[in-house]
Amino acid sequence: MALKPSPRARQWGEPVSQAVVAPAATAGAPQSFLRDARGLQRKLVEEYYHHLEPREGPSRPVAYLLVGGNLAEILRSFGYEVVFPEIVALNCAIKHQSLDNILHAESLGYGLDVCGYVKNDLGLQDLGGKTSFGQIPRPDLLVCSFSGCYIYVKWWEALAESYGAPLFTFDVPYMREETPRKEDVDYMVSQLWDLVHLLEKRTGRAFDMDELKRILTESRRAEEGWVEFLRSGRLRPSPIEAYFESIFYMFPINVLRGTREAADFYDVVNDEIRTRVRDGNYPLPEEKVRVLVEGVPPYTNYRTFWDFFRKWGAVSVVATYPKVGGLFDRGFRHDPSRPFESIAEYSLGAYVNQSWPLRRKIISDYVKEYQADAAIIHGIKSCRSFTAGQGDLRDWLIHDQGVPTLYIESDHQDPRYFAPAQIKNRMDAFFESLEQRRAVAAAAGAASA
Amino acid sequence: MSVVVAGVDLGSTTAKCVVLGEDSQILGKSLSVVGVDIVKDAERALEAALVDAHIPRSDVAFITGTGYGRYKVYFGQLVVTEISCHARGANFLYPGTRLVVDIGGQDTKAIRINEKGEVVDFAMNDKCAAGTGRFLEVCANALGYDVGEIGPLSLQARRAVKVTSTCTVFAESEVTSYLSRGKDPKDILAGLHASIANRTLSLMQRVGVEPEITFTGGVSQNQGMVSALQRRLGAPINVNSLSQYLGALGAALHGRERITGGAE
Repeated sequence: MALKPSPRARQWGEPVSQAVVAPAATAGAPQSFLRDARGLQRKLVEEYYHHLEPREGPSRPVAYLLVGGNLAEILRSFGYEVVFPEIVALNCAIKHQSLDNILHAESLGYGLDVCGYVKNDLGLQDLGGKTSFGQIPRPDLLVCSFSGCYIYVKWWEALAESYGAPLFTFDVPYMREETPRKEDVDYMVSQLWDLVHLLEKRTGRAFDMDELKRILTESRRAEEGWVEFLRSGRLRPSPIEAYFESIFYMFPINVLRGTREAADFYDVVNDEIRTRVRDGNYPLPEEKVRVLVEGVPPYTNYRTFWDFFRKWGAVSVVATYPKVGGLFDRGFRHDPSRPFESIAEYSLGAYVNQSWPLRRKIISDYVKEYQADAAIIHGIKSCRSFTAGQGDLRDWLIHDQGVPTLYIESDHQDPRYFAPAQIKNRMDAFFESLEQRRAVAAAAGAASA
Repeated sequence: MSVVVAGVDLGSTTAKCVVLGEDSQILGKSLSVVGVDIVKDAERALEAALVDAHIPRSDVAFITGTGYGRYKVYFGQLVVTEISCHARGANFLYPGTRLVVDIGGQDTKAIRINEKGEVVDFAMNDKCAAGTGRFLEVCANALGYDVGEIGPLSLQARRAVKVTSTCTVFAESEVTSYLSRGKDPKDILAGLHASIANRTLSLMQRVGVEPEITFTGGVSQNQGMVSALQRRLGAPINVNSLSQYLGALGAALHGRERITGGAE
């Protein structure tokens, strides 16, 4: 549908201020373990949005991309600015600015159950694209590179219609086997050449393979650094918060991948992690529970949610969500010596593009590799592609894998779905029961010694 | 060791307090409806239980808070979730309990426990009040009854209607619709109880149905609900007049354990 606003919404609608739902009293320990890397990440975010601000004179064309399996390197090689509306939406949500956009999208006719990312973005776009962190530029091209979610295709179609921008849909076959099939890779490579030809026509520039290889080299360097950071969660105690902290550090690997800044960023991150280990500066004074986290975070109440963990000495040592931009920690790297094939394999390997048996295998491996004591699954109301199947995952983890697991639900974008008292109650009960079982096991161990 | 301990269960609808004496005797208890000032409600619940126990407050060595308002039991020394407390309380009253079903004002919980009364797994209703005590209250009001009357009335039904919705708001509409079609309120009530039993069974199945099953929370005092659940399960469930105090009782037991280090 087009993004034509309803006149009634304009006439009657008033901005709704979005407050943090949870009481400040629940705030936990200060996040003193975060040092230079967090500061640098903030700076990179600010610079990125500042750089996108419209200014006089010639400007570079803008392509909108989805995070999972994106084709940023090819777009960059043609001089495009890449914008990720999912990331813009999550930045709005984490800054408590998503509800106004969502309500506006609903006034345009988008239903309650439509994905929060979609409504947040479409509402924002229709309101002019102005955020507290910058003016989001209009797209000159839309590249839909995601097969795990069909709503996303509709989202890009709505944007294409609204802006009159061309839409390139990159059809990514669903992954049912760990190793990509040759015919799937070939099919995708042929589509990549279609994209290249489209970009050549639109920019008037010839495709530059050397430039693509240079960008892929930077991507690979960033991927190495990102993986080193993620794998430090294997240490005991973990020097990182693999879920909460990764959300900060996902920005360079997702938004700036292919630039020198992104690759350099992870050098700073990993230096900091090494310093943390050396100085004993861990996320919590005592790591009592090592948790695997599955699912998209409740960005609207992100810190409150984090506090629910910290209160119990629970540290997220591994998480699936930071892998939505690529399963680099499972061995994948962009490869300048096989540029198109590796881009195709990257797109196939997006986390949500994996079948449930593959997702279960990843999670099961994580539990062992990261010595997780328990799992917490956060399901989100408005995303079926990530969330459908998580109930079965919970049962499988408990009954087949023997991993105590809690399933809770809210939303990633819509604060109306975050019920702090209920979520806290469930998490308190879960951690409390873990603590009790450990105390009993310890007492039994002492008695038998 | 002789210690008097108290547990205060500050729920979404009612406050319960149990004062537990030597040899785990219940010395006193109280039950009251919570209002807007839950800090005072907690204090009143404790005071009423102390009056019932005929002991001064200074005799109480340790107080534990539980329930949604547990962090508002400012005078307590320990906070434990009601999930752990219902588990412990059910284990105390019925040591063979392996599954606790707690239906309170705004929550339904299925809690699987081990022989020590520790929580093994639990499942709760979504964050709406579907299938909870509040649901029954709204439907009772729609039919013009007090919530205390509807359980026995539902047992007099001849042919229960089928209530498809457990959404509190939609079920009220459904009740009104059945009334306008001339259905007997008793049959409607039986249908409402059956719909909650179905929903509760689904929660129970998520954690695993294993006897003995103990029913706790305010709705456990509703005979119609006990009957509907037993019918749906095809098995008996433990329930008695203390069932709605089991959260407070469990809290008191947790408190006693804390000060005795687990020694009896």
